[in-house]
Amino acid sequence: MKYRVRHLTEYSYDSKVNSCYNRAHILPRDTLIQSVDTPRVMILPTPTSGSRRTDYFGNRVYHFSIQEPHTSLTIDVSTYITVKPLGNNHGSQLDYGNTCEQVLQALNYKVPSIETIYAREFLLNSPMVRMSQQLQSFAQGCFNPQKPFLTAVMDLTHKIFTDFDFDATVTSISTPVDEVLAHKHGVCQDFAHLAIGCLRSLGYAARYISGYLETLPPPGQQRLVGADASHAWFSVYSPGEGWFEFDPTNDSVPTFQHIVTAWGRDYADVSPLRGVVFGGGRHQKLSVSVDVARLALQEEA
Amino acid sequence: MPDSTDLFQSQFQQALLQPAMDFYRPLADIYDEALLPTGAVRDHWESTLTSLNGLGSDNLAARESKAQRILRDDGATYKSYTDRERTWNLDTVPLIIDSDKWALIEAGISQRSELFNRLFNDIYGPQELIRQGVIPPEVVFSHPGFLRPCFGIKQPSEHALILHGVDLVRTSEGNICVIADRTQAPSGAGYALENRTVMSRVFPDLFRQSQVQRLATFFQTLRVKLNSLSPDDHLPNIVVLTPGSSSESYFEHAYLANYLGYSLVQGRDLTVRNGYVWMKSLSGLSRVDVILRRVDDFYCDPAELKSDSYLGVPGLLEVIRGGKVVLANPLGSGILESPLFLKYLPAISQALLGEQLLLPSVKTWWANDPVDRDYMLTNLSSLLIKLVYQKKGQINILGSQLSAAQLIELREKIRQKPLKYVAQEVIVPSHAPTWQQHEFSPKPVIFTSFCVAGDKAYSVMPGGLTRVCQTVEDPLASYGQSALSKDTWVLSKGSVRHLSLRSDKSKHESMADDQEQNLSSRIVENMFWLGRYAIRAEYALRLLRTIFLQLNNADQLSEKTYQVILLTVTEVTETFPGFTANDKDSNIETALFKDPEAELMSVITDRQRRGSVVANLNEMLNCAEEVKSFLSADTQRVVNDIRDNVNALEQTTKADFASAPEEALDPLVTSLLALSGLVNESMIRGFGWRFIEIGRDLERAYQTTKLVNSLMSPVLTEYDEDAALETVLLTLETLVTYRRRYRDRSGVVNGLELTLLDETNPRSLNSLLQSLKSHVDVLPSRQLGRLMSVEKRLSLELLTKVQLAKPTALCKVAKGVERRENLFKLMKKSQHLLNQLAIVLSDTYFDHTEIQHQVMTASWEDEL
Repeated sequence: MKYRVRHLTEYSYDSKVNSCYNRAHILPRDTLIQSVDTPRVMILPTPTSGSRRTDYFGNRVYHFSIQEPHTSLTIDVSTYITVKPLGNNHGSQLDYGNTCEQVLQALNYKVPSIETIYAREFLLNSPMVRMSQQLQSFAQGCFNPQKPFLTAVMDLTHKIFTDFDFDATVTSISTPVDEVLAHKHGVCQDFAHLAIGCLRSLGYAARYISGYLETLPPPGQQRLVGADASHAWFSVYSPGEGWFEFDPTNDSVPTFQHIVTAWGRDYADVSPLRGVVFGGGRHQKLSVSVDVARLALQEEA
Repeated sequence: MPDSTDLFQSQFQQALLQPAMDFYRPLADIYDEALLPTGAVRDHWESTLTSLNGLGSDNLAARESKAQRILRDDGATYKSYTDRERTWNLDTVPLIIDSDKWALIEAGISQRSELFNRLFNDIYGPQELIRQGVIPPEVVFSHPGFLRPCFGIKQPSEHALILHGVDLVRTSEGNICVIADRTQAPSGAGYALENRTVMSRVFPDLFRQSQVQRLATFFQTLRVKLNSLSPDDHLPNIVVLTPGSSSESYFEHAYLANYLGYSLVQGRDLTVRNGYVWMKSLSGLSRVDVILRRVDDFYCDPAELKSDSYLGVPGLLEVIRGGKVVLANPLGSGILESPLFLKYLPAISQALLGEQLLLPSVKTWWANDPVDRDYMLTNLSSLLIKLVYQKKGQINILGSQLSAAQLIELREKIRQKPLKYVAQEVIVPSHAPTWQQHEFSPKPVIFTSFCVAGDKAYSVMPGGLTRVCQTVEDPLASYGQSALSKDTWVLSKGSVRHLSLRSDKSKHESMADDQEQNLSSRIVENMFWLGRYAIRAEYALRLLRTIFLQLNNADQLSEKTYQVILLTVTEVTETFPGFTANDKDSNIETALFKDPEAELMSVITDRQRRGSVVANLNEMLNCAEEVKSFLSADTQRVVNDIRDNVNALEQTTKADFASAPEEALDPLVTSLLALSGLVNESMIRGFGWRFIEIGRDLERAYQTTKLVNSLMSPVLTEYDEDAALETVLLTLETLVTYRRRYRDRSGVVNGLELTLLDETNPRSLNSLLQSLKSHVDVLPSRQLGRLMSVEKRLSLELLTKVQLAKPTALCKVAKGVERRENLFKLMKKSQHLLNQLAIVLSDTYFDHTEIQHQVMTASWEDEL
């Protein structure tokens, strides 16, 4: 499946910005099932300096700084991505493999595999996700020692989907997980953080994934350009079997319609843009538009 | 190890010296640095202890206060988190280490630095220790000091870790044991140097006789190392990055910058452009190649690390990745301070060096390890409990000091968050003789050793910083917060290599010229304001002094003149509303004018009040603190005097208010005059000096116009005009000249001639403006084309306006008008132009860092 993703971010400031320094996680990474052609990045005003590198988690990072006065900033990224359908992912078959007990045992082996050693980084608290008793008791019922681990994680995914309301108005980016749990609503980032918090509280390794989701229009309707959104979900680690993705916002197991941008311990590791601006006043307006176009479809049209 | 002859000898000496050592009694069961368990003095202490005691109590007390005076004059201070700034305290008894013992310590420390360097490179590189299971992955992954953005950065030299501080204690068995490592921005080397400088001045004979190894080599090595880190072949531009004058060890930052000949900068003095770091200086931007940093990891780059930090340089990390600037120590080195490494160090040493550790570390348990946790929970009351990651100011817990309930609570916390807790064996540190309250008494000591990366291997400072604690628990619970210290004397076997500090100093003085060109805009701005605030305070003091004198004769003044004089106080000091609060129709008038004392007192001592003498002096002291490294030792001493006088001012003024209150102000006026004299005598005629002078001239001119306008513009009776003129002349200290010169022809015209126009009077407005213009004329012009720069134009206009004025015209009084319009207008115009000039200078030469915002608000970072 081939996609063209266009991600347009626009900032406007209420007074002049004289310079800015940014770190952006906006270039999708390669994964086992997706390969990314060199993305095209257009930034206005033109950065004084820009550089790409790979970060600690293997994500693509773009650093740039602008030294000329500006009152708006546009970041326009276009990427061509090929996703192998059902690559190493698991489709809907979840009742096989490690049981919950086996996962916990293998994570705590005295001499773990290298992959497990590095997965243990995702067992710990991270900047935005803290383990807690509440999270543990919320998720407890989905897990039991003999249950296949992935089935249990799917049950948790489903529980979040059914118990929580999707409501973009109530959370800012930095809503603490405890608050999300208490109020039972949030956005995709919150649900991903919540699931990660639950899993870690129970002793499982989970990481945060940012990316895009292809949305298909209702039958008979035209696909709206720019209506797609950046998205977030999570993956869990099953020793010896690898990492498996789940999407609590859509109660689904991601397949080829989920395009990965970056992963990390939580949002803080992979936030699309962070940095410092000099000037610009107190207020800035941000607008984001994402368009995920399936190339075959577009060619037909 | 003393062999049997040594033992025999010391017992023999003990017999001889027993009476002589009566003055010092060590505690039982505690290792004493100076005495053997038998009570005999250890060989390497003998001559020093005997000499010190031989001086006698009074003499020692005199030396002690001399030492304190030097420290105070040098501005040696230390701020702990719990209390305000205090002078660094130096004990007059050094800690003495003999050459054999030192050889062992030295080998142990340099091995340890090599090991920590490899540990750093492994954590941020291949992570073999984690992969091979030498350390549990959580040791690294759960530590907030593991900076993932720093992973994989290519280090410019084999030794990324440039400086390493190691805290050592000696156990009751006499073994040296490491209790902590300092790796981000180890502080203390500068204090050690200052201690040495003071000791060698206060006890020159003793020091000379004692074969003490010199510290200068250490700093020489540091300088060579930093030079070698240049990204290009050229000699690098090196700066010391400080968090600023509110930092706990700011004294040391300034001291080291000065000693090494580097510019002292703050984050806002630096900027990232085109892939390089630049310093904003008077002559534009100058590239920075190496940064000796005293800012902690997180704070160094708000773009990638702590986003609300104002202490760092946005974009710095990307420049480091590009290899265009080098930090010493490298970013990310904070993780090495984790006490967890103490637990795993023997295994790490085997894995990375293939060697046994020469210096043991304090025994450490980690609650995340099940076996360790059991041990901790069982033995909690006899252990020292620490957090794996300690925020500044956090204090360790001694299990023995907890109640039963507190122990239960702590056990629960440890069970809940095992990753966070470590426990350490409680060590009773050795004691050393300390001279306090007129006697020698044993006090626990901690010694910090410093190590610097040399050309091939690490080299250890032959000396270090010894801290004295008041109780045995003190060093463990709150180590590092004690501000009583000792010089540390490492004895040499042969003769001491003389690499004198003095020859070293002259070298960096010759570098001052380079530095002058690179003065940061912030320094220049502070120089300018140092000058202005000093003059503001000085003129206010002079005026108030004069007014106190005049008020003594108040009954001879007309009511109007009396009021004009009081109003002048408000106008000149700009402490509005002050006496202008008087409404002619209300009763407040009479109240304020009748009892002006409270208002006058407030104008002098109210530190909250803008324009008061104390407020101006405090502003001046803040500026002086910012430019500390540019002030000579004598200047620093005068600044200290001013600080003391300011603190005492309220008391002295109150006490003196009943009679001759002006007396209380005299010492401050004298100190301010000394300051201006020293600035003229001792400062290099560079831009720093020039901006102080510009600030002073500009402020003097401004004050003069206000004073003359307030007192001379109103039309008064002839008798009262003489009184008003006398106030002006007394304040400007020209009354004597005036009387001598115009003996019979006194009057306003002559007064104005002398104060405004006379070229031979250095305090006349004309002279001040000439001097101001001469300074402005030589500033590096930023104007393009052939037009005169705005600041030059303004200073020319000012001078011309004043020079062309005629005293008689200024004095003219129109009928029915109560003030001299010409004079009034000229003074107001001059004030306006002076203000314009100040604004233009500020816009052109000073730094205006805009407010820095985060692209996104990240509340979770509070956790870091």
